[in-house]
Amino acid sequence: MLQTLPAGAPGAETPAAPILQLVGVRKTFGGFTAVQGIDLDVREGEFLTIVGPSGSGKTTLLRMLAGMDTPSEGNITLHGELINDIPPNRRPTCLVFQSLALFPHKSVGENIAFPLKVKGVDAAARKARALELMRVVRLPEDYFDKNVMKCSGGERQRVALARAFAYDPEVLFFDEPLSALDYKLKKALEKELKDLHRETGKTFIYITHSLEEAMVMSDRIGVMRAGRLVQVGTPEEIYGAPVDRFVSEFVGEVNTIRVKREADGGWAGVDVPGRFTLAPPRDGTALDEAFVVVRPEFMRFLGPGDSADNRLEGIVYNEYSLGSRIQYQIRVDAGAAGEKVFLVELSRSRALPPGTDRAVTLGWDAADAFTLGS
Amino acid sequence: MKARRTNALIWGWTLFVLVAIYLPIVCGALASFNKSRYFGFPIKVYSTEWWSKTIDSIEIGMIVKTSISVALLVTLFSVVIATFGALAFARYDWKGRRLYQKLILLPIFFPQPVLGLAMLLGFNAVGIQTSWMTAVFAHMVWIVPVVTLVIAIQVYGFDASLEEAAFDLGCSRVQVFREVTLPLLWPGIWSGMLFAFLLSWSNFPLSLYTTGADSTIPEWLYAKMVAGYTPMVPALGTMATLGAAALLLTGGLVGLLVRRRAAA
Repeated sequence: MLQTLPAGAPGAETPAAPILQLVGVRKTFGGFTAVQGIDLDVREGEFLTIVGPSGSGKTTLLRMLAGMDTPSEGNITLHGELINDIPPNRRPTCLVFQSLALFPHKSVGENIAFPLKVKGVDAAARKARALELMRVVRLPEDYFDKNVMKCSGGERQRVALARAFAYDPEVLFFDEPLSALDYKLKKALEKELKDLHRETGKTFIYITHSLEEAMVMSDRIGVMRAGRLVQVGTPEEIYGAPVDRFVSEFVGEVNTIRVKREADGGWAGVDVPGRFTLAPPRDGTALDEAFVVVRPEFMRFLGPGDSADNRLEGIVYNEYSLGSRIQYQIRVDAGAAGEKVFLVELSRSRALPPGTDRAVTLGWDAADAFTLGS
Repeated sequence: MKARRTNALIWGWTLFVLVAIYLPIVCGALASFNKSRYFGFPIKVYSTEWWSKTIDSIEIGMIVKTSISVALLVTLFSVVIATFGALAFARYDWKGRRLYQKLILLPIFFPQPVLGLAMLLGFNAVGIQTSWMTAVFAHMVWIVPVVTLVIAIQVYGFDASLEEAAFDLGCSRVQVFREVTLPLLWPGIWSGMLFAFLLSWSNFPLSLYTTGADSTIPEWLYAKMVAGYTPMVPALGTMATLGAAALLLTGGLVGLLVRRRAAA
């Protein structure tokens, strides 16, 4: 239904060639460096998400890829061809804006057919193609003449998507288009977007500040911080093997303990008293000081007979329902430093009996925690 | 009880303001139907004689033509200049924009007789013979800033990413302007046109200095008030007012219809 790109040569065993390649891409505005030296290969047909907090440079990066800004340094190549200075109207790429940027003076159909009109396609062919794309994005046919400003948030989303497809780009960029929608609709559209990605085989580059969104949709995720790509990997790699505390905290709430190496080779807590058993750092570096990062869902409460590699005594002082899960906040006595709060998340079936102010023992195994140098 | 008194006060005040604004216009209209040459209330004999004389007068015909020509040319030039001026004013960020924003607004606050005199002296200095065409230029000095402001409000109201999106979807710069910028600015341009025409139509102080041997309606009204009053003065004044009102009403209706059709 959609014009898709030819996939890699039949039978080829090597991973798809990079469609977009960034080498040392920097962008400065006056004295401010928004993007500082990004190297990245985007594979043909992948769904790549760039996540980062606001101000991390992800929007600037996307604008350079779409041609709305030019890099101050470095090269961006598409199919091996330098595109640094090619304006957006001459790039085979298309950006779905955060605001969606639907033309308020045009109907749903006119919006979708707009890129075809610009190309000089005749009216009948335009309409046929627009209706075809409306089916692809699951918009009812009688919406063709509807005023686009009278559509709901989710419908507008689909119009924007269909319009981008009508341009028939090789790479689609998304600038947090789902951020304004309510949670349920957002979840549904995330899945639809992933389906559309698979159906069309196009390369999608998506930016968002929500790692949750990135996890659901992406083949690969790049985490940005202060203008740099800190880590690029599959959702499993980002979740299961974060390179530093920033990435680990970005994925969700975490418990962090500072530790330092003792004379006997063991680890002692700095901000919480006690000795801890750590898995060696994944990259194999030898550290004298480190951070132990444990996700709340890997912490558990220990009964009298239970064992765990590490344990801490504390008092439950808050519990929150997260729907299917329950999160507990535990105060642990940290000696001179006062108190330190730990989070434990359990599925509802394993919840403690209700009530706070009870003494508990926390436990976790070394294999479930990360040992990070920074 | 208290609410009723408040209501009565609001209605009373509204009525007073309406009477204060519209009574003089009604008086003018009544004066034009006076059969007697000299003005005086109450009117003893009513007649449409002066209206027919006004309509038949060749001199007035020329004056109306001059006024319309000036207003049309002012409208045309002002709107073209102001549309691009408003984009520079409200859309694009460039060095010197703040100074430009101040400079463009300044002529609105100049006393118009001073502006008119200054322009007359300027035309003389460079040796340009004043006529209704120099008045077009003089009107524009004052009207372009006003229209720029009117259109700039529209520019502020629309999302710049729409233009970027059109550019991204393959439009050339010209296509972006034609397909997105112009249609979205249209309501502002339309009211800017009405402003330009009506402000030029009713302008007296600038015309007085810069039309040379030609004369516009307000100038003629003034001249005849000073010497040679007949009820043709209020007759032409009423016609000019009705003409302006009709234009405004048509303009508003067209705007409404276009919006209705767009919203369908």
